[in-house]
Amino acid sequence: MSRGSPRKPPDPASPAPAAHNPAAMAPLHPPAPAGVHPPAGGPFPAGGPFNEELYLRLNPDVLVAVSSGAFRSGREHYERFGRAEGRPTMVPSSLVRDRVVIMADPDRIADKPRAPAGNIDHIKISPAGGIYVVGWVNDSQDRLESVDLYFTGWSISFSAANIARVRRPDAEASVGLLTPQSSGYWGFLYAARRLPATICNAIVRLKSGAELHALVTVDTVEDEELRNITLSGLALAKYVGDPYFAAVQSIDAAIAAQLIDFNQMLTRRAVNAPYIERFGRTDVQYKGSIIVCLFGKTDYMAVQQAIFARQPGIGDYEFIYVCNSPDVTEVLLREARLCSMIYGLDVTVIILNANAGFAAANNLAAKHARSERLLFTNPDVFPRDADWAQKHTAIVQDLPADQTALFGAPLYYDDGSLMHGGMYFELDRSPRFHQGKRQDTAILRVEHYGKGAPPDTADYLRPRPVPAVTGAFISTARGWFETLEGFSEDYIFGHYEDADLCMKSLEAGRPAWLHDAKLWHLEGKGSTRQPQHDGGSAVNRWLFTRHWQEAVARDILGPAPQHASLK
Amino acid sequence: MKILLVSLYHPDLVHGGSQQIAYELFKGLKQVEGVEPFLLASADHHTPAMFKSGARITGFDGRENEFLFLSQGYDYLWHKTPSVNLAESFKEFLELLRPDVVHFHHFMTYGIDYLTLTRKVLPDAKIVFTAHEFLSICAAYGHMRRLTDGSLCNRASAVRCHQCIPALPPEHYFMREIWMKTHLAVADVITTPSRFMIAHYVNWGLDPAKFRHVTNGMRMNVKPFRASTAGRHNRFGFFGQMVDVKGLQVLLRAVALLRAQGFTDFTVEVNGDNIHFATEECRAEIEAFFAAEAELPAASRNVIVNGAYHHDQLRARMARVDWVVVPSIWWEIFCLVISEAWSFGRPVIASNAGGPAERITDGKDGLLFELGDARALADTIYRACTEEGLWASLAQGITPPPTREEMVAGFLEVYAETAQPASSAA
Repeated sequence: MSRGSPRKPPDPASPAPAAHNPAAMAPLHPPAPAGVHPPAGGPFPAGGPFNEELYLRLNPDVLVAVSSGAFRSGREHYERFGRAEGRPTMVPSSLVRDRVVIMADPDRIADKPRAPAGNIDHIKISPAGGIYVVGWVNDSQDRLESVDLYFTGWSISFSAANIARVRRPDAEASVGLLTPQSSGYWGFLYAARRLPATICNAIVRLKSGAELHALVTVDTVEDEELRNITLSGLALAKYVGDPYFAAVQSIDAAIAAQLIDFNQMLTRRAVNAPYIERFGRTDVQYKGSIIVCLFGKTDYMAVQQAIFARQPGIGDYEFIYVCNSPDVTEVLLREARLCSMIYGLDVTVIILNANAGFAAANNLAAKHARSERLLFTNPDVFPRDADWAQKHTAIVQDLPADQTALFGAPLYYDDGSLMHGGMYFELDRSPRFHQGKRQDTAILRVEHYGKGAPPDTADYLRPRPVPAVTGAFISTARGWFETLEGFSEDYIFGHYEDADLCMKSLEAGRPAWLHDAKLWHLEGKGSTRQPQHDGGSAVNRWLFTRHWQEAVARDILGPAPQHASLK
Repeated sequence: MKILLVSLYHPDLVHGGSQQIAYELFKGLKQVEGVEPFLLASADHHTPAMFKSGARITGFDGRENEFLFLSQGYDYLWHKTPSVNLAESFKEFLELLRPDVVHFHHFMTYGIDYLTLTRKVLPDAKIVFTAHEFLSICAAYGHMRRLTDGSLCNRASAVRCHQCIPALPPEHYFMREIWMKTHLAVADVITTPSRFMIAHYVNWGLDPAKFRHVTNGMRMNVKPFRASTAGRHNRFGFFGQMVDVKGLQVLLRAVALLRAQGFTDFTVEVNGDNIHFATEECRAEIEAFFAAEAELPAASRNVIVNGAYHHDQLRARMARVDWVVVPSIWWEIFCLVISEAWSFGRPVIASNAGGPAERITDGKDGLLFELGDARALADTIYRACTEEGLWASLAQGITPPPTREEMVAGFLEVYAETAQPASSAA
């Protein structure tokens, strides 16, 4: 019985406020809309005849209350509340047909809030204090207020604003929703402390005060696993609207920042106490350190070594393979020994105890480099020209320092066409309507000059400053890289830290350049990609946009940016 | 001059053309004054008894200068051996032997990268690579026969190779090509037993100047039969493995066609084995034919299955046929069966592609038919059976096949050439 359902009879000495009574009716006087007839009849006159049966028929909530024992009779209800509420006691003199007949204010006599349809699917907690909750609730009428989790000795309330909303087609089907809804929800929070938890009293609370209760057994999972589960969930979720925007929007308020904090903790842990082994010469000052970050696959190491080994002048370079997959340690070290024997290049292998991501792994490798020039190179990148190493050396030695502080090179697809010659930024905007509100989303997108162009298209190959170059190959002066504090380790796994580095370089006064040292790039073939990486990319898109949207929008947007350094 | 021959398998352990030729060469070189040949033949899981605990290279059955490389864990995707120990043993073997020439007759079971390892260990040695098929070009068994439709392949490419083996993306084949070429580039000379192969490798991007044609040669040590030139010549023989590319199924289809048109006055004798290496589909077709044939009264059978044969039995098997049929449906690189047939004075009826097409002059010393075309083969068999004087004319046209001595001389010439400067373009 509404916000005032008579669960138990209120104290008759103090008339209950309307909000707590079985609907205080106020006579309606405004003009009735078409199809709606104003109430007929009127309140039962004091001392007049009282028709118990008719009163209960006209007031079904009272009928329920009487049936449940809350009142002994309809008459009792009427005397204690109904009269004051203006409850109808008799039918209109002539019942209007085919029209809604208003006999009381429906807003004041709404049904009591019922527990919403929904569920708390999982609550997962990791040793370092990651908390992940996922479930669904049909809040299409009565909006979600919060998800409250009560554990022994601690609790947390995820406010609706900080909860990601996603589609749950299974839930839509179970409650018979025909229109896609964001009935799914998930929340993540990094508490940065151990939290004991086995059982959780979970409450999904709606704006009306309606609640869904559940006693949930908590899953305890490793920190890395929790990161992967959360990011996979982000990547694989269904959304109302374009997932490209919706995924980013869903984590905008709070989750993205929490995930980044959590990931930073994992990254610090992953780069702790790496295994390092050097093959070949050890007391050489090189002209360059080719740093290759591996994840999951080692296949291309031998191929890369075989091809580089035939380059004249490659003896001036060392190779550092930094591996984010400790599970391939044995294979990697075996390959390194074989390569050292067969190709004779100087190779350092660094193996991390977990996946620290592209940025942190490369930053660590840079610290172990034995040259003043760092060449960050993907495992699926190979020199296209037979004299590539000599060309690179000449670029570094002969060109002005501000053109070589940080530069990339044209990359080519295996089909011979240009993959790209530098990168620029576009801003994607999407007006988005959620539960009747407009929530615009803007995301910075990295675009590529000359993607798929004929291989010798001069416009894309000429040496020039560009907004950014890809992390698949970046050659940078070690000192400048250190000045920029390396790759930002805020980015999860990989993606966007290369553009971020270039933006930092540009802001610091030296734009990235593109120089003609052509490379093959078999994009994405040098590592294994899983759903959590796509989830990480969504967070990175959010982060990169948050950091750089304003600067890019100012004078760096588009393929022909107005920034003075890029002309 | 010390010459190390690196062979895929030892022919006395595992039968196969390339190892047979490598061993012929080894034996031939032993006869040459001033040449000291060594043979390193691989053994793998096919011959587990050859493995000795902790050993990676051993001698072989008390034979002088013959060694076994005990291959393990070979990576067929990239054609390399992942074992550091095996690579070290190979390196030590080279350092111990210090040959003037290292002649690879194959890279399988070792690794294509062993060519580069050899160059690193022996910078001044001459490295010769003999291509016995197209394995460096073609991931589909080196046959250059498209798995998509069975057509012969003239051009490998990332996308076309991906179409043949779709489990891997085009990028893999792109890298495979670079990988293979990178290692082949260290070879001073690449030889092929047939000339047509050179065109395939050159189309693939290798430098034609690096190639030499050196024929396969064998010491047959046989006396040709005194076959009658008169009378009927309606007995046909198939010699080889019963695997898809050897085309026995095409021959059997031709037999069925001839029967269907009422011509049954001929026999086909099948000599060979290894049907378990055939695809399921091919094996089923061949076995179904054999089973149906076995159901016929003996007098009605056209096909006789003799099974496997040892080289010593070759003379007896050849004596029972007038013609040898080579119905291969791939390029068929050299076709030692042709040499064997010619040694016994038997004209060959063969598919009109690859090695057979290069060696046989249609109408002069044999007959060619459209590759894979059972109707064309049936017509050719009918003609062979019925055309007066044809057999005699073709038998007369046969020239003796290349001998072991010719092959040895060819390779000695290659070994003696001044080493070519290594080219990155191979």
